[in-house]
Amino acid sequence: MFAFDAQKGTSSGSGRSGSRSRSRELPVGLADRVRPTTPVAGRTLPVPAPLVPLFPDGALRRGTTTTVVGQPGHGATTLALALLATASQAGSWCAAVGLPDPGIAAAAELGIDLRRVVFVPHPGRGWAEAAGDLLPGVDVVLVRPPGRVNGTVARHLTARARDRQTALVVLIERIGEWPQGGDLALSVGDVEWQGIGHGHGHLQGRRAEVVVSGRRSAGRVTECTLWLPAGSGVVAGVETVGAGAAGATGATTTAQGEGGPGGAGPESGPEAA
Amino acid sequence: MVELERLVVIWCPLLQQEGPRGEEARRFVQVVARAGETCPWVHPIRLGVCALPARGPSRFFGGEEMVVRHLVEAIDEEAHVGVADGLFAAVLAARSQLIVPSGEVDQFLAPWSVAVLARPELAVTLQRLGVTTLGQFAALPAAHVSDRFGADAAACHRVARGESGELAGLRDRGIDRRLRVARGEDPDLGAEPPPYQPGFFGGASAAEQRAAVSFARVQERLGVDAVLVGRLRGGRDPFEQASWVPWGSPEAERGGVGGSGVGAPWPGRLPPPSPTRVLEVPQRAEMLDAMGHALVVSGRGLLDAAVDRLSIEGGPWQNVVAWAGPWPVTERWWSVRRRRARLQVVMSDGTARLLCNERAQWWVEALYD
Repeated sequence: MFAFDAQKGTSSGSGRSGSRSRSRELPVGLADRVRPTTPVAGRTLPVPAPLVPLFPDGALRRGTTTTVVGQPGHGATTLALALLATASQAGSWCAAVGLPDPGIAAAAELGIDLRRVVFVPHPGRGWAEAAGDLLPGVDVVLVRPPGRVNGTVARHLTARARDRQTALVVLIERIGEWPQGGDLALSVGDVEWQGIGHGHGHLQGRRAEVVVSGRRSAGRVTECTLWLPAGSGVVAGVETVGAGAAGATGATTTAQGEGGPGGAGPESGPEAA
Repeated sequence: MVELERLVVIWCPLLQQEGPRGEEARRFVQVVARAGETCPWVHPIRLGVCALPARGPSRFFGGEEMVVRHLVEAIDEEAHVGVADGLFAAVLAARSQLIVPSGEVDQFLAPWSVAVLARPELAVTLQRLGVTTLGQFAALPAAHVSDRFGADAAACHRVARGESGELAGLRDRGIDRRLRVARGEDPDLGAEPPPYQPGFFGGASAAEQRAAVSFARVQERLGVDAVLVGRLRGGRDPFEQASWVPWGSPEAERGGVGGSGVGAPWPGRLPPPSPTRVLEVPQRAEMLDAMGHALVVSGRGLLDAAVDRLSIEGGPWQNVVAWAGPWPVTERWWSVRRRRARLQVVMSDGTARLLCNERAQWWVEALYD
């Protein structure tokens, strides 16, 4: 009896410790320094901390398609480029196709490791073929189609991204431009620049409403307010970086003292519905 | 002083021009292939000329002389090989079959005729002024060259001074396609994955190789210049900070971010955030005050009135809701006479732009998307 109990005890004990060691994570210091050796290591790609709440997995999921939607000049390019920042820093290769005249300084300020990102700024009519070529080779492909995308092309690229376990990010102006809408859609709505007045200050930060929708958002529509970008050029959550060191408040509240055009309401962002 | 990439150039005198039977391109393909078996990153520059970075092979073979010897032995054609800093000087060094010591490009270039710049009009003008050699050209004050002869001459001047190795026209943009045709491949179909040498002198991870193959595939499809990597240097504005180089080119091999001066507190530099879209071709713009008068930047660098509205390329007038500046732009030393000022502008639709004023004309230079 005693022996039996003891054996049971040790066996269950070793089992527990075994499962614990499997789920153990890398030490904090090492996690920053390790680099993936193959593109299929892990199922997600890290995003900058302020963007984590936008994703159901807290990161870009490999093999999925994310659309970033916004009118030109409303910060969609900033948001799309920011999705490459942490992944490139972690050693992932990224490619940006069709992004015209990208600002290199802005990309660097957003935290992109320029050694890990190639740009194909002017693919012309070959944009889909170029994106198709790149999907098997890199971890993230950001593509900005020249206009509305034909369903066959979109299906082909989506399928290729899924097969190759590459994250596909599509930058569009209106949600309908990408026929299937993508697994996840991040739509930039109302924006407001701060720090600039009538002949004084300078562009310091753009407060933007971002609405999350799409199949992988599990039916919920999440909305949050972000700096796209904040004063240093990085993206930030409004609650963490106030324009004038504003105190921490709820994530979706309007920044204090600015009286921005009422964009924080839950009904905003109709194009994302 | 800019440090130029040290390059080995292979120059094949008999293969510079396509002959009636068109076999020069095929023979040059063989030259590139043979050189590529000896050293990595051999890039065709134009018909009969290819280049590769010198540093890695030099360490591997034990000196630049040894690299040159190995290359000459490997190539069946008549080939002249030279080594120098920067592509322009390296091509001339190859023609002369010389290894030009690092840092002495300007002295090497000085006795060459201005004609080697391949700018006939500029050469004629300079020769009329009694300037016949690159050394004499280099000695002219840079500001004068830029003012009097324009931007292309200023680029030539930088090359003559040994400050730059790249000159428009030096590379044949269609060479890769031409060599594909010579190899008997369909230039429009990227069926065959291009050969990639994994870490010839170092070692490349599987991910890196896979990425490289896909980049090369896009280059096969759209041209070498279609796949770019960005580099950042210290500079006063988004234009000076940024430079694009083709992926895989010797210039790109030195790493993505040129470390020098990044984040340096340049006086006059616009504070971050920087614009995400820097227009390759600036858009002409008009700006008016509330009275409908064109806005002018005064000699003291101030606006003469409050900004009211903006029209881009003759388009509809849009209200300006906020603006900042003007910031005077102190240009680079070689064009010190240009007087420019920048203005950040936010429109009523919430979009922001960076404008520049030069000689009473406004231009949209960049967008904050």
